[in-house]
Amino acid sequence: MTALLESPADPSVERRRAVREAAASTLRRRKLGSQVALGVCWLFLAIAVVPLIAVVYYVILKGLPAWSVDFFTHSTTPEGVPGGGAWNAIVGTVVITVIGTAVAVPVGLLCGLFLAESQGRAASTLRFTADVMTGIPSITVGIFGYIAIVRNYHYSGLAGSFAVGFIMLPVIIRAGETAFRGVPRSLNEAAMALGARRATIARKVVVPTALPGVITGVLLAVARGLGETAPLLLTIFGNQYLEWNPTKPMAALPTLIYSYSGQPYADLVQIAWGAALLLVVVVLVLSIGSRLLAAYLRKEHR
Amino acid sequence: MYNRNVNHPKNSRRTATVVALGLAAAALLSACSSSSSTATTTTTTSPGGTLSASNAAFIAADLKAPGGSLEASGSTFVQPFFNAAFYKYTGLNQALQINYQGVGSGAGITAFENGSVPFAASDVPMAASDLAKVPASSGPVIQIPDILGGVAVAYNLPGVSARIKLDGPTLAGIFDGTIKTWNASQITALNPGVSLPSHTITPEVRADSSGTTYIFTDYLTSASPTTWTLGASKTIAWPASAVQTPKNSGVAASILSSPYSIGYVELSYAIQNKMSYAAVKNAAGNYVVPSLNTVAADADQKTSVSPTDFSIVNQPGATSYPISGYSWAILLQKQTSATTGAQVVKVLDWTTHTGGGQDLATGLDYVALPPAVQNQNRTQLLTVTGPTGQTLLTK
Amino acid sequence: MTTVEAPVPRQAGRGRRWSLPDKGYRGMLAVTAVVFGALAVWFLVSVTIQAEPAFSTLGFGWIFGGTWNPSHGQYGLLPFILGTLESTAIAVVLAFPIGLGTAVALAFLVPSRVRPILSTTVELLAAVPSVVYGLWGLIVLAPVFRSTVEPFLTSALGWTGLFNGPDNGPSLLLAGVILFIMILPTMVAISRDVLIVVPNEQVEGARALGATRWQVLRKVVLPGARTGILGAFTLATGRALGETVAVAMVIGNSPYIAHSLNSSAATIPSLIVNNFGESTGTELSALFGAGLVLLLIGILVNSAARWLVWSTGHEGAGVEVGR
Repeated sequence: MTALLESPADPSVERRRAVREAAASTLRRRKLGSQVALGVCWLFLAIAVVPLIAVVYYVILKGLPAWSVDFFTHSTTPEGVPGGGAWNAIVGTVVITVIGTAVAVPVGLLCGLFLAESQGRAASTLRFTADVMTGIPSITVGIFGYIAIVRNYHYSGLAGSFAVGFIMLPVIIRAGETAFRGVPRSLNEAAMALGARRATIARKVVVPTALPGVITGVLLAVARGLGETAPLLLTIFGNQYLEWNPTKPMAALPTLIYSYSGQPYADLVQIAWGAALLLVVVVLVLSIGSRLLAAYLRKEHR
Repeated sequence: MYNRNVNHPKNSRRTATVVALGLAAAALLSACSSSSSTATTTTTTSPGGTLSASNAAFIAADLKAPGGSLEASGSTFVQPFFNAAFYKYTGLNQALQINYQGVGSGAGITAFENGSVPFAASDVPMAASDLAKVPASSGPVIQIPDILGGVAVAYNLPGVSARIKLDGPTLAGIFDGTIKTWNASQITALNPGVSLPSHTITPEVRADSSGTTYIFTDYLTSASPTTWTLGASKTIAWPASAVQTPKNSGVAASILSSPYSIGYVELSYAIQNKMSYAAVKNAAGNYVVPSLNTVAADADQKTSVSPTDFSIVNQPGATSYPISGYSWAILLQKQTSATTGAQVVKVLDWTTHTGGGQDLATGLDYVALPPAVQNQNRTQLLTVTGPTGQTLLTK
Repeated sequence: MTTVEAPVPRQAGRGRRWSLPDKGYRGMLAVTAVVFGALAVWFLVSVTIQAEPAFSTLGFGWIFGGTWNPSHGQYGLLPFILGTLESTAIAVVLAFPIGLGTAVALAFLVPSRVRPILSTTVELLAAVPSVVYGLWGLIVLAPVFRSTVEPFLTSALGWTGLFNGPDNGPSLLLAGVILFIMILPTMVAISRDVLIVVPNEQVEGARALGATRWQVLRKVVLPGARTGILGAFTLATGRALGETVAVAMVIGNSPYIAHSLNSSAATIPSLIVNNFGESTGTELSALFGAGLVLLLIGILVNSAARWLVWSTGHEGAGVEVGR
């Protein structure tokens, strides 16, 4: 005789029936509530999409007419003088960002590697510091750059690189550490079993495996560094002329946009829009490119 | 067209100067100046003086300054003029670039005190308190006028096409917040027949330390001493209803985009951006529209200006525009680098003299410096010495 | 585990052998860590040294003073602290519900074919530089606000007393809305990331019990993702607090405490960026002091964000972009 698993007197059966009844009786109300709530979510999606699309739309609408041969080959000219462009600002941004990146990436990645391999209290303090520093207000980095470099040296592209590099460094450290930590322990241990030195392990195992994450992190940090305005406003002074030498004052795209946006002269405002479009395009290319590159490298490594 | 020296057809001389850059201008100038009438204080001939005969030679030598780049910063009042003049200078010299940043007179003075720039521009010369911040070892500071301009009271009144008339006390009331609407009795009293809206007035003022603010409030203090209590200064404690924007260009843009607003901007900005601006009552009781003629008329009432006596607002004269002022270039008398020093004095000499930068003034809606002021500038610049004591301004 | 190098002296107290190249390698890494640490310390010390004269001359109370008028010796940071907090508050009050709702929509409601494209788009928008938002806000949004939005709000919501001020153009509300648009992508991207990692079994279990989709969200998914969402929220807040140029371009520069959403205001970053070039002496020192205050506020908020996000295990979710 098989014992029945369920019997009418079993309390769990009662509970289940109660739940089913409650569910059935409130179904219509709950369904309505669900539809309303989800409808609100759709509404919020629509509300979110409108301004974001509007920003991109206007930047393209007003920026594209500014893109001419002159825009990319001529430096800025005084208001009313035709033929002006943003070439000096483009060069300035490139030089300042390249120098800032060239310093921040090696230091940041090595620091990230250090943190990925360390456990001590010093390491966690540094980790916390890097975390907090990714979010400090950029104007404070600007005043630091002024005091540290401009006061002792002079307004220059280097002072701007210092400030921009300072902003990029914690971002690279954290992204690097995350990427390096993502390397499976098994790979590390296998290499150690083969007798490899720590440095060799790092070079041949950790870095290549972490490379996709590292590249994504670095490119995103560069994209951020490109767009920073406040730190540059206090350090590079600006320049109407083309200047390749970073020890001199330079122009840059974000500061150009900032100063030309509030001008009454329409030709200057148009240059601001053109520069804004250029920044957006470059940042998007870097962001998308970093994803594509990371995916490609991940596939390659399989 | 403003005629400084009624004995000379300046029109053709000016056209020839602009066309035949540099040396040709110098040649014509020296030919003309040798037959000019002398400066007197009579009202019929030019009160501005005559240019020295060696001007042409100096102008030519100015274009041979050592190559490189120079930084300068300060007043946005003078910025359109400096931008154009320096751009033209570099076009002629090819080797020397002048990087001028308009950051406001106050910031320019601070940069000069810090030693960040070899010369600065300010619409109000450095006061004793500013001069005290320059280290004594740097030596004396030279301040010379570089251009003459007016401050227009620009406004944005939709639906009103007639030009508004305003006087000192009314302007004081608008900018200290006591007169709040466009159809207030003080304004309608000055503008009979003009239908003014009942909208609130939005005063548009400077957020940064500004020489233009100084000239404007200097006028308010002079024209309305009992009712204007906020003083004459580069920074003012404006009422909460005022919209504060940095730089002349910022205020101009703000007025253009804000209906029912009124603010003060250098005349060049107002004209070049086709803004509406008011006719202001001068000391003689006439309502004067700012223009090159009326600004020059005001300046001609006081041709002897110095860093300690520089205000030319509210001068007598039937056609004087009362809110006018010079802008000043500031540099050290003892230059520590022969190259930079030579660059500074030659650029400034070229910019402040006829045959050089001053020829661009009219086209940009500024008034060229009177010849007497130009001569005085050169005398000052000739005292600038390099590290070994050599005179840097040479012919 | 054996190494192929010749035996080297053991480090006392350590369980493994350190060869010279290993020590060199570790040493090099440690050096960079020290450099970074020194940089952070240099930053804090520099700003504090520059700010010190203001505190020794004026004490500490000036931070809460209500008037900023350096030419009369009055330094009060309260209008700017309030402006910073208020503009940020507007931004997060808008961004939290709208961002979360959008994240829910992107994670669960939008057809799955469209999901990757939309999500990527939103994340890419987080990288757009803030000066571009400022330019757009100044030229495109400000006129719309002045002509349509603010008059409408004043007539519809004037009774709340929030819209009493003069309608000048630049305003606290406009700055708050620009900040909202700027932090929205961050809020959406991070929230979406934490929403989709809630374990599937829990979701399916709830559905099996007969819960509606909203009930599943409310009772299962959101609570599970709660800490991560709060982390996203605080990260977004941190970014809004520190924003300089986009706000300075649209908030007006009124050094007075704003009494309505319509009025001009100022924030600590806008105060610093507008006055830095012309300040000397006590005023310059006071600006550094303002920077320190801002730093403190920012560090507090960011520490809270990092702790919250970290405690849910989503370490990579907080990489900030574009300011």
